[in-house]
Amino acid sequence: MSDVVPAMDFHPQPTAGQPRPWDFPAPERGALPNGLTVLRRHRPGQRVIAVEVCVNAPLEAEPAGLDGVATIMARALSEGTDKHTAEEFAAELERCGATLDAHADHPGVRVSLEVPASRLRPALGLLADALRAPAFPDAEVERLVRNRLDEIPHELANPARRAAIALSGALFPAGTRVSRPRQGTAETVERIDAASVRAFYEAHVRPATSTLVIVGDFDGIDVDAALADTVGAWTGAPAQPFRVTPITADDTGRVVVVDRPGAVQTQVHIGRIGPDRHDRVWPAQLLGVYCLGGTLTSRLDRVLREEKGYTYGVRAYGHVLRSAPDGSGAALLVISGSVATEVTGPALTDLWQVLRTVAAEGLTDEERDFAVQNLVGVAPLRYETAAAVANTLADQVEQQLPDDYQAGMYTRLAETGTVEATAAAVSAFPSDRLVTVLVGDAEKIAEEVRGLGIGEVTVLSGQ
Amino acid sequence: MGHTATPPSATGGLTATEHRLSNGLRVVLSEDHQTPVAAVCLWYDVGSRHEVKGRTGLAHLFEHLMFQGSAQVPGNGHFELVQGAGGSLNGTTSFERTNYFETMPAHQLELALWLEADRMGSLLAALDEESLENQRDVVKNERRQRYDNVPYGTAFEKLTAMVFPDGHPYHHTPIGSMADLDAASLEDARTFFRTYYAPNNAVLAVVGDIDPEQTLLWVEKYFGSIPGHDGKQPPRDGTLPEVIGEELRQVVREEVPSPALMSVYRLPHDGTREADAADLALTVLGGGESSRLYNRLVRRDRLAVTAGFGMLRLAGAPSMGWLDVKTSGDARIADIEAAVDEELARFAEEGPTAEEMERAQAQLEREWLDRLATVGGRADELCRFAVLFGDPQLALTAVQRVLEVTAEEVREVAAARLRGDNRAVLVYEPTGPEQPLAEPGSAEESEPVEAATVESAPPARAGQDAQEGSSK
Repeated sequence: MSDVVPAMDFHPQPTAGQPRPWDFPAPERGALPNGLTVLRRHRPGQRVIAVEVCVNAPLEAEPAGLDGVATIMARALSEGTDKHTAEEFAAELERCGATLDAHADHPGVRVSLEVPASRLRPALGLLADALRAPAFPDAEVERLVRNRLDEIPHELANPARRAAIALSGALFPAGTRVSRPRQGTAETVERIDAASVRAFYEAHVRPATSTLVIVGDFDGIDVDAALADTVGAWTGAPAQPFRVTPITADDTGRVVVVDRPGAVQTQVHIGRIGPDRHDRVWPAQLLGVYCLGGTLTSRLDRVLREEKGYTYGVRAYGHVLRSAPDGSGAALLVISGSVATEVTGPALTDLWQVLRTVAAEGLTDEERDFAVQNLVGVAPLRYETAAAVANTLADQVEQQLPDDYQAGMYTRLAETGTVEATAAAVSAFPSDRLVTVLVGDAEKIAEEVRGLGIGEVTVLSGQ
Repeated sequence: MGHTATPPSATGGLTATEHRLSNGLRVVLSEDHQTPVAAVCLWYDVGSRHEVKGRTGLAHLFEHLMFQGSAQVPGNGHFELVQGAGGSLNGTTSFERTNYFETMPAHQLELALWLEADRMGSLLAALDEESLENQRDVVKNERRQRYDNVPYGTAFEKLTAMVFPDGHPYHHTPIGSMADLDAASLEDARTFFRTYYAPNNAVLAVVGDIDPEQTLLWVEKYFGSIPGHDGKQPPRDGTLPEVIGEELRQVVREEVPSPALMSVYRLPHDGTREADAADLALTVLGGGESSRLYNRLVRRDRLAVTAGFGMLRLAGAPSMGWLDVKTSGDARIADIEAAVDEELARFAEEGPTAEEMERAQAQLEREWLDRLATVGGRADELCRFAVLFGDPQLALTAVQRVLEVTAEEVREVAAARLRGDNRAVLVYEPTGPEQPLAEPGSAEESEPVEAATVESAPPARAGQDAQEGSSK
């Protein structure tokens, strides 16, 4: 095997050159006469312009028993307006080479438009029509309701989605909106009709409580005129933002097994809630959680994937549910991945051992430095496209953060030490206060999991 | 070392230069100083079509081993060094090629070149049984997670096996079979490296905030001494008759949430004008919410919850036109098939309207602009055209070619290819107690976007992956 001794010339590992300065793109903030707040940012070379509209219509604002009405309303915005039928609207949008997506989540409804700069004006006109004068035809709303009912069994059959739904159901108090599926259940979706969709629209969709973010290459485009002629025509009475109730959770350590007979893997979702981005601990939590499960060289994958081969990958992350300066928000902190059925017990044992080791011995300075270098260093890559910048700016709006929040985050990460990162990681995932959902073959895994001492085990029928 | 550049006016301002080292490594450079980032992309001209019977999945398993260290890079050093420098990285394997890519802050470009050269020249110095055993398990779990443990997960594999006959190099998909993954040996991996991993079987693209002269000096320094060789075995010929000649059909009875109709049509090879015409035909028929099949099946007849066409472009075998329809309520597959055939027949007769052509071309143009919006996307496209068609400059004019296709060409390719005797059909019939739901629910987001993700492959519209990644 002569080529095991390579024939090439070797050189020492090169050192980095001089970094060129990069800052998170700061937006320019303004407002239209109709009360719509506008954030804009010119990004040279980004020929697909991204527009995000944040509408203050949180899921908690849905009327009792009508979970899913925000979702159906968001989808129905593009199913016909005062100018176009549903089919015409879709055709006009595609004629612009544009995509328009709308979805409802805990902080509110988000409408996202992407369009080549050359066709921005007509696409903004369609977006404005959707927001300003949706027709909500009975037949289209009824079809969207049926489609949504058709989708639900597909979601429940997907192990990762099934686990996420079960985790929210187990973690949050019964009766709270956050405990229930974002897009409703079959029981609630069936009740939705055009009248309830219109009522939700009338109550919550208006320019005064909405923000539009626009990012891209504006060269040769009069953005002011384009906005004034389109979303500038959207009218609505002023209103106060909807008042939400604080998010709480029961993190008593326990295990829910969702039975999926014959599954060749067990889908694992382990979670609890933690502070949101308004809390000073957020940068330390981001660092600590990254050290645990941010990439395949993090603590969890180093053992579960790269040493044991139990999984294609396990990740730990914090997902902000809602974030607000009054402390009513929370982040869902999750460890998730899937492991081969026959090694479910050993994989969970190793996973808990990783958590206990971090709690006992702490993270190392090398791990903390690596995490900072990655999380700070990837910023210019991560924000190459207009869509990535617009999305983060819109998240900041939804989470009631200042426009320079992300820019400041990089400084705060660099200032966060190993001790703080360790403390945040340990408090994010305390080994005795975790709710574990396993979607897998209960007959093969439940008994083994009972012996692990990670909490009382309940088995739910998957059907 | 030759320099050619396509005039910027025809390419939206993008240009690229080409170079060749004496060991045969082809290099493509493209400057863009808008953002201080640089992409390195390396395509090796080897994919699952080069695999032999009994060793399916080897190209992809090998791709994982490329991240397990090389002579000067211990263990997971490729990941650690790139991510620690603020970069992102991954690798993927498809039928026709294997690619490795890093996007770096511009001042860390040299590190990525050094890393890629180290594993191109010296992987075997570090490759051992322990890495192989570990990554074999990882890849088997990748297979379970992405295919075996999700509803309809093996549809792509089944349809591929139908549309490309037994013995054809594209008959199996890149993930391979569990039995073959179990059978792969260290010696297989070594032989694979010696056969296919050589500078003269690769194209390197560097795109972004770079100094081209300095970049070329680095490339020469790190890659220049790696010996080229002629060990490569050409893939078996993938040519097939344009039309299958009969409808191939398989009924799958599995525990899935609803009946489904999936079919694959044989389409023209990638790189031809007919392939661009076929892409437009599929877009008009099933490329979005204004497409004919969506309007017919989802909006009007209400037979389906989703209906769409996607295209998997292949250069060395017929491309695949992929139809995916999931039923709504208690709709019958037979009614869906009748409606699809009616729409296909009407399209073959009348072709697209002028408005439909305008919409489809606008959609494909935006998709192309999206691919070129990042330095990594641009580097990948330059490699693609260099490896598969011998000329990276073609990447810069690809959208122009789509816009030149005429409505009559679109009609012609649809009439010739989108026919009942040119498709493989998979019908899913649910079994088991999937209907009564103890706890009805809905979508929750499941994975964070911050982790490095395996890129999704075409046909994006049909939501099918045709390539395997090395991490998640």
